[in-house]
Amino acid sequence: MMEKTLKMESKKIDFYYGSFKALQEVSLQFHLNRVTALIGPSGCGKSTYLRCLNRMNDLIPSSRLVGEITLDDMNIYESGVDVVELRRRVGMVFQKPNPFPKTIFENVAFGLRVNGVKDRNVLSEKVEISLRQAALWDEVKDRLQASALGLSGGQQQRLCIARALAVEPEVVLMDEPASALDPIATQKIEELIHELKKNYTIVIVTHNMQQAARVSDTTAFFYMGKLIEVNATENIFTRPKYKQTEDYITGRFG
Amino acid sequence: MESRFHKELEELKMTILQMAALTERALEKAVHSLLVRDTEVAKEVVRGDQEVNSLELEIDRLCLKLLALEQPMARDLRFIIGTMRIAVDLERIADQAVNIAERTIFLASRPPLRFNPAMQQLGDTAIDMLKSVISAFINESEEQAIDVCQMDDTADELNVKILKDLMDYMLHDTPAIERSVQTIIAARCLERAADQATNIAESVIFIIKGVNIKHHCQRT
Ligand SMILES: Nc1ncnc2c1ncn2[C@@H]1O[C@H](COP(=O)(O)OP(=O)(O)OP(=O)(O)O)[C@@H](O)[C@H]1O
Ligand SMILES: [Mg+2]
Repeated sequence: MMEKTLKMESKKIDFYYGSFKALQEVSLQFHLNRVTALIGPSGCGKSTYLRCLNRMNDLIPSSRLVGEITLDDMNIYESGVDVVELRRRVGMVFQKPNPFPKTIFENVAFGLRVNGVKDRNVLSEKVEISLRQAALWDEVKDRLQASALGLSGGQQQRLCIARALAVEPEVVLMDEPASALDPIATQKIEELIHELKKNYTIVIVTHNMQQAARVSDTTAFFYMGKLIEVNATENIFTRPKYKQTEDYITGRFG
Repeated sequence: MESRFHKELEELKMTILQMAALTERALEKAVHSLLVRDTEVAKEVVRGDQEVNSLELEIDRLCLKLLALEQPMARDLRFIIGTMRIAVDLERIADQAVNIAERTIFLASRPPLRFNPAMQQLGDTAIDMLKSVISAFINESEEQAIDVCQMDDTADELNVKILKDLMDYMLHDTPAIERSVQTIIAARCLERAADQATNIAESVIFIIKGVNIKHHCQRT
């Protein structure tokens, strides 16, 4: 494997919804060309943590973050940070595919237009590249003007990935991207993650242990708002250090 | 929370313990028959091997099924892999017992050789190692497994001693050559059984800690 290059890092962050402390002192590093899986029981704070990484939680009233998250050398919570630009650099794919009720083309071009791209040729070119990266091009190239809502669930999810990639992000956050998909579509998404990591830093939340094991290089186990253990995925799934991790991944929890 | 999968793991553990018990008994009987020249007990050992073999197949089948259907992780994964390895070593120890029993059947039909206390000691050491390692497996005791590894040197030394004694003996008593060779083979089987008990100890440590100490068994 190549040398590790640090891309993003959270340093002892606490996160509050009102007075409820949803995350406690979470320190994690994310490296270029690496996939990090976040695992843990429902409600442990995985999605909350993921949303901290591109300030999606800003939209939630009375929420508050203490600590520092850096992207390259920039503290993303510093005042004056352009949040729109931050979310371009740190893209997100959600659990349920959420295409806009527009054409396939316009779905992918959306972020580009928001970022001021108007040239038709540039748009076409970027849409094609993104759809190819998302392994969807061959299936939709003849119906780019058809509604995105006519695609299957698995295709819609790959379309959302293409939409996220179109603006050329550096980090891609995925919150259970395959949980609503059948095994074939899931496999496609997983293959895609392997491809994407050549160019991006990827963070994925998943409830599927086998999936975490298959797609990630590093796995982080969360429990009750705390990061319990982070290690090479191979170690986490063959010989985790902590009993809580072991109990969780072997299904002995609770 | 006891899942269906964990019940199946318990069942696997019961099966390997049954195999271990049969193997232990076979080795004890083989050593006993060798020392007291008891052909009947030796024949029992030979006949009993079939049951050990079929348990090994059963364990293989169970492990393969659990790996394929449950995709186990961490401790569960190590337990299944470790159990497969242990089953292979137990089967080999049972084969050593059969081999010793066959030597016994030959030796009992000839006049006895001079009694060699090292043979008794070697038999006791091999049996002791097997019992201890089974107990280490049951109790998930790393300490006990390491102790077994360290007993292996004793078995090696006793085997060398027996070999030297018998070579010496053969030089002076040529009619005893065939019996001596058979006895050397029996001693060699016991030394191999001790090696295989050491392999089992390594598998036990792998199950407990997830580290492979093969080929350099020592405190970690
Ligand atoms: N908008 C919100 N307002 C208040 N509390 C919230 C909000 N969103 C999440 N929480 C709480 O924060 C905690 C962490 O939730 P989060 O959604 O991050 O968990 P999760 O690990 O993603 O769970 P799941 O696996 O079920 O998706 C939970 O106790 C949850 O109830
Ligand atoms: Mg979530």
